[in-house]
Amino acid sequence: MNLLADKKIKRSQEPMASAATPDLDPGSQTAEAADRYMSRGSGPVARARTQVAAGLKPAAGLPDLKPMFEVQDLNLYYSKFQALKHINLTIPAHQVTAFIGPSGCGKSTLLRCFNRMNDLLEEVRIDGRILMDGRDLRGPQTDVVELRTKVGMVFQQPNPFPMSIFDNVAYGLRCQGIKDRVYLRQVVETSLKKAALYDEVKDELDKNATKLSGGQQQRLCIARAIALQPQVILMDEPTSALDPIATLKIEELMNDLKKEYTIVIVTHSMQQAARISDKTAFFLLGEVVEFDDTVTMFNNPSDKRTEDYISGRFG
Amino acid sequence: MNKSRRLKDGILNGLTWLSTAVAVAVLLLVFIFMFRRGWSDLSWDLITTDYWPQNLNVAFRQGEAGAYTAPADLAAGDSFSTLYGFALRDATDTKKAKTLIITYVDPDSPLESAYITTAGSQQGLNQAIHEDASVQMLYYQDEDGQQVLAGLLAGDDAASLVQKLDTGSVSIQSMYYQTAGGGIRGSILATLLLIGLTLVIVLPIGILAAVYLNEVAGRNRLTALLRQAIETLNGVPSIIFGLSGVVMLFPVTQLFGASGQSILLGALTMAVILLPVVIRQTEEALIVVPQSLRMGSLALGATRSQTIFKVVLPNALPGILTATLLSVSRVIGESAALIYTMSTVVTDNPKILQPATSLAVQIWQIMSSEQPDFKLASAVSLIILMMVLLLNLTVKLITRRLSRRWA
Ligand SMILES: Nc1ncnc2c1ncn2[C@@H]1O[C@H](COP(=O)(O)OP(=O)(O)OP(=O)(O)O)[C@@H](O)[C@H]1O
Ligand SMILES: [Mg+2]
Repeated sequence: MNLLADKKIKRSQEPMASAATPDLDPGSQTAEAADRYMSRGSGPVARARTQVAAGLKPAAGLPDLKPMFEVQDLNLYYSKFQALKHINLTIPAHQVTAFIGPSGCGKSTLLRCFNRMNDLLEEVRIDGRILMDGRDLRGPQTDVVELRTKVGMVFQQPNPFPMSIFDNVAYGLRCQGIKDRVYLRQVVETSLKKAALYDEVKDELDKNATKLSGGQQQRLCIARAIALQPQVILMDEPTSALDPIATLKIEELMNDLKKEYTIVIVTHSMQQAARISDKTAFFLLGEVVEFDDTVTMFNNPSDKRTEDYISGRFG
Repeated sequence: MNKSRRLKDGILNGLTWLSTAVAVAVLLLVFIFMFRRGWSDLSWDLITTDYWPQNLNVAFRQGEAGAYTAPADLAAGDSFSTLYGFALRDATDTKKAKTLIITYVDPDSPLESAYITTAGSQQGLNQAIHEDASVQMLYYQDEDGQQVLAGLLAGDDAASLVQKLDTGSVSIQSMYYQTAGGGIRGSILATLLLIGLTLVIVLPIGILAAVYLNEVAGRNRLTALLRQAIETLNGVPSIIFGLSGVVMLFPVTQLFGASGQSILLGALTMAVILLPVVIRQTEEALIVVPQSLRMGSLALGATRSQTIFKVVLPNALPGILTATLLSVSRVIGESAALIYTMSTVVTDNPKILQPATSLAVQIWQIMSSEQPDFKLASAVSLIILMMVLLLNLTVKLITRRLSRRWA
C-alpha cells in the first residue's frame, strides 16, 4: 500500500524473476495463490483466483518497474463536493493497474486526471500533484493536447466515430497533421493487429466503424488509441458493455499490450481485476483504502473494508 | 367499457379524423386549383424566354421556298404558308392594335434559320423565330428577283400575307418582328442568384455562431441571453426586416458599388431574416451529437477545433442540411421583405448589384398590375412549388445517403 514498501517488494522479486524462466514464474505464483484460495472457500473472489491459477495472471517482476505516474496528495472537488481525498499512489510502468471500488467512489475521476479530461468539466478544482516522468502533469510546461497523445483513453461505451475503420484509427495521427498515405496505412495496420482486430476487418477497412459489433468496436477504440503510440492506456470499465467472449478477447489483449504500454483499468469485476492486473487500488468514498500487488490484495488484504468488498459483503 | 365512455371515445376519434380530412382536403384543393389554372400557361417557353418583348430585325441563312404541309391541328382561322412552313393569325395586342401572330413554325422552316441583323452586340446571333412572335413586316424576293415588302406596314392581314408569299415568291429575305415576351427566365435567374447569395452569407455565419453557442461558450447567463435574443428575432415579421434592410444594409451594398435596390441587398436582408433559423436548426443538430464522440476525439489528442470540424459538424450535417432547405424555401417564398430591397421591376438579365424580382415578387407584381393575369400567376406559382418539391427531394436524398453512410 505504501509506496516505498511496495517498491521494495517488487525489487526483491526481481532477481528471482530473472533467475527463473519467465514461463515458469507465473506458474509458481499462481499455484501458490490457488493453494491459499483452496483453504479459504468459494465465492466470486475464489472464482477469480481459479482464473489466476489457470495462468491468465501475467508474469510478476517484469524488468521495467519505474513509476509512470506518481500521484501526490491529490484532492479533487466538483464545485463543493470533494470527490478525491488525499490520494497518494504510484502507477508502475508496463504493468496493469486496476482500480476497484463501489460506484461513485472516484475511480473514473482519478482516471480522468491522468489525461486531464477533467479539464473539460466546469467547476472542477484540483490540488496536489501528478508526476509523469517526474514532470507535473498540470504544470505550465505540460501541453494537454500532447499529453493526451501520450496517455490514451478507452471509454466504457465503445465510441467509434461514424466514419470508416481506417479513418477511425488514423484519426489521431491526422489530427497531428500526418497525411502520408503509406505511413498511415502502415500504422493503421499494425495498430489493428496489436488490438487483435486486423484479421476480422482487413478486407473492409472502408466499412463504417459503427457497423462493427460492440466488442469489435471496443477493440477498434483500443487500436485508435494505440495508433498514437502512447505510453499509457487508460480504460474505464472497457468491457462492461460487452458479452463474456468479447470481454475475454479484450482481457487477453491487455495481457499482450502491457509489454509495450502501461495500463490503468477501472473495473467492477473482481474476477477481471484478479485475472488481468498486477496492482490493484481499492477506492472507497474518494479515498484509496488499499493499494497493493493484486495477488496480495486478493489473498490477504490488510484492510478489513477491502476484504469485505472483495468478498462481496458490500458495494 | 360503458356506453358513455364508448361514446366519448367515438366522438374524439371522429374529431381527429375529421380535422385530418379537412386539412388534407384544403391542401389538395389548393394544389388542384393551382394546377388547373396554371397548367395551360406552363410551358418550356415561359421558363426560357424573356419577360420584355424585343423588336428584332432578322435575315435568313436559308430563306428559299420549300414544300411544307400544315399540321393536323391547325386552328380554323390560321393561314398556313406551304412554301415557308409557318402559320399566321390575325390578333390584337394589349393596346388593341392589329398584329400578326405566328402560331406554328415547322421545324425545317426558314424561320428557324433566322439571325439577328440589328446592329449591336447580338448582331449575327442565331435567333430562330418561335410561336407567338408578332410579325411587323417582311421582305421577300419575287420571281423577277425584286425585293417586295409585305406585312402590317404593307396593309396585309394574315391571309393576304400568306397568299403573297405562296404565290409569287422564291425566298424570304428579312423580317422585322417582336418577340412574345412574358417569360420568367430573368426572374428564375434572379431567384437562383438570390438563393445562392443568401446561403453564402447566412450559412457560414449561422453555423459558426451555433458552434460558438453550443461548443465553445459555456452554459452561462450571457449565452442564455443571446439565445433568447435570437429566438425573439425569429418571430419578427419579415417586412420589418425589409424596411430596416433598406436603411441599414443599403450602405453595405454601396461598398460593393450598388446604387439602389439590388439582389445583394435582398440577399443581405434575407440573411438577416434567416440567421436565427439557421442558428437554431444547427444548434439542435449539434445538441444531438453524442458527447462520447467529443470525448473520444479530445482523448485522442485532437484540439477543440479539430473535434468540432472533424467529428461534431460532420455528424450534425443532416440537421444543417435541413437548415439549408428551410432557408432556401423561405427565400423562394419571401415577398414582403424583397419588394423594398430588390424592387418589383422584372429584369431579363439580373445582375447582383442591380434591381430584379424574385419569382414570388413577380407573382405579386403580376397580380397588382392593371390587368392581373391569374393564369400566369398560377403558372409561376406552379414553378415555385416544383422548385420547392425538387429541393425537398434532393435534401431528403442527400440526408438519406449521409445517414446510410454513418448509420
Ligand atoms: N461532472 C461531475 N460533476 C459533479 N460531480 C461529479 C461529476 N462526475 C462525478 N461526480 C461525482 O464524483 C463522485 C465520483 O464519481 P466517479 O464517476 O469518479 O465515480 P466512479 O468510481 O467512477 O463510479 P462508477 O463505478 O459508478 O463509475 C461521484 O459521487 C459523482 O457523483
Ligand atoms: Mg466510473
